[in-house]
Amino acid sequence: MITVSGLTKEYGERTVVDDVSFTLEPGTVTGFLGQNGAGKTTTMRMMTGLVPATAGTALVDGRRYTDLPNPGAVVGALLDASAVHPGRTGRTHLRLLASAVGVGASRVDEVLDLVGLADAGRRRVGGYSLGMRQRLGIAGALLADPPVLVFDEPANGLDPEGIRWMRDLLRSHAARGGTVLLSSHLLGEVEHTVDRLLVIGAGRIVADGPVASLLGRDGTTVRALDPAPLARDLSAAGLPVELGSEGALVVPGAEPSRVFAVAAAGGHVLTELRADERGLEDLFFQLTTAS
Amino acid sequence: MTAAVHLTTTRTATKEPVMTDILTSAPRPVARSIGVSAVPLVGLEIRKSLSTRSGKAVALAAAALAPAATAMLSSSGDELDAAKGPIGALGMVTALVLFPLGVLATAGEWSHRTAQTTFLLVPNRTRVVLAKALAVAVMGAVLAALAGAASAAVLSVAPIGNPTWDGVAQALAVSVAAGAAFAVVGAGVGAALGNTPAALTSLYLTVLGAMPALRLVRPEVAERLDPANAVLQLAIGNGTTGHVLTLVGWVVVTTAAGVVLTRRRPVS
Repeated sequence: MITVSGLTKEYGERTVVDDVSFTLEPGTVTGFLGQNGAGKTTTMRMMTGLVPATAGTALVDGRRYTDLPNPGAVVGALLDASAVHPGRTGRTHLRLLASAVGVGASRVDEVLDLVGLADAGRRRVGGYSLGMRQRLGIAGALLADPPVLVFDEPANGLDPEGIRWMRDLLRSHAARGGTVLLSSHLLGEVEHTVDRLLVIGAGRIVADGPVASLLGRDGTTVRALDPAPLARDLSAAGLPVELGSEGALVVPGAEPSRVFAVAAAGGHVLTELRADERGLEDLFFQLTTAS
Repeated sequence: MTAAVHLTTTRTATKEPVMTDILTSAPRPVARSIGVSAVPLVGLEIRKSLSTRSGKAVALAAAALAPAATAMLSSSGDELDAAKGPIGALGMVTALVLFPLGVLATAGEWSHRTAQTTFLLVPNRTRVVLAKALAVAVMGAVLAALAGAASAAVLSVAPIGNPTWDGVAQALAVSVAAGAAFAVVGAGVGAALGNTPAALTSLYLTVLGAMPALRLVRPEVAERLDPANAVLQLAIGNGTTGHVLTLVGWVVVTTAAGVVLTRRRPVS
């Protein structure tokens, strides 16, 4: 379990991460969303001891990352796919990491194969595409098969097949009881990968909860043969009505059952009745613009 | 509860088994429960230094420059009185070539942003900097020994008359120590500045520019600060405790600066 409490980072007068707290449970994939400069990367770097926190703590199973005896065996982190010496081959890079984390050299070939770089392992990283570097970074994070994965924008540069592969990788890791924190700006991808969302805006957590509960239902759209009388009855029942496209009526904040009850009581003939669901993009902009 | 326990409890089928097959079916690799210990960490840093073309090039230059220069000087036909002179002088040249070995080991991590990976796996930055210092000291000493031995071998067969070989052992020993010391100084300055060009420029301007200039205006101060002069004096047998302290001072001050500034620097 990862417990982040009151994490704060100040650069002079500027506060880039402000009292951020959350908990990551085993068996879950948590999406970490926020606009550029919102504080996602700084938060992840503070969690892994790369950037000192001004205040607050980040604990992995009750210990600070920097106090873990062998952190690479507990947390697999991919924070910057370009943080590889371009003159080394992919295999050499991973072998050096394997020595540091304490896994056998045979595991290097396993993870190279896992990420689809078995053939490219003998080439210098300087000749890799961004997507290949991302795969190499993921391979490095997986070397010790650590229980926690912290990935910052891992889908950058990946093709659709690679993104799908990564999604399955993260889901299977969580299914095995692992903990995943995933930062991404690809909202559609996050929506299909994560169980839980953390949204950060201007350095503060502005939403934290299960995807289904955060996206939730946002109202009801209804069509009737004669919409005007239905609109009057809905308003009379205390439900605000907005005019939707092509004669539809939109009732924000109302459950379909409530709208149906009003329509049935008034004897209205309905041709459509459906719940409106908020998309992740709508939620993201609503939360981050407000902050 | 440890997260490791979780990993061994449930392994479920994946939606796309092709690329995640290994992850879900292979046993968890055995990783150390404790961090990498000191000697393997030094060995790892040596492997890092020699795994890049720049590292190999510096090592090759350090080993080959002195014997190549010895061969060229020997071909002039001039006779030598004592072999320790050229061996000591070229030992100092080898030491100067070893500055980049240290700089690349530390500043190179920041220039290529690999410091991130290094400190993610070994968060104790003091340990990392000291391991790098020890690693380049070993490499510097070995390369200086190779260069010195090769230079002596060239001199032994060169047409330079019949010079005395008295003091050659001391000159070689000083060259080896200087190679280690200068590589460590390079690592310290590289760690302190975190920028390869800045570290190299600062070092060479200081040792080859500022020190000779200082010798012109304040020779007594330069005598206490100049590491190249200290190596030369020690190599030819004119050294004093002060010269030893000069080299030790450079090693200690630059290493301490490297540790302190590396610990404070955020990894961005």
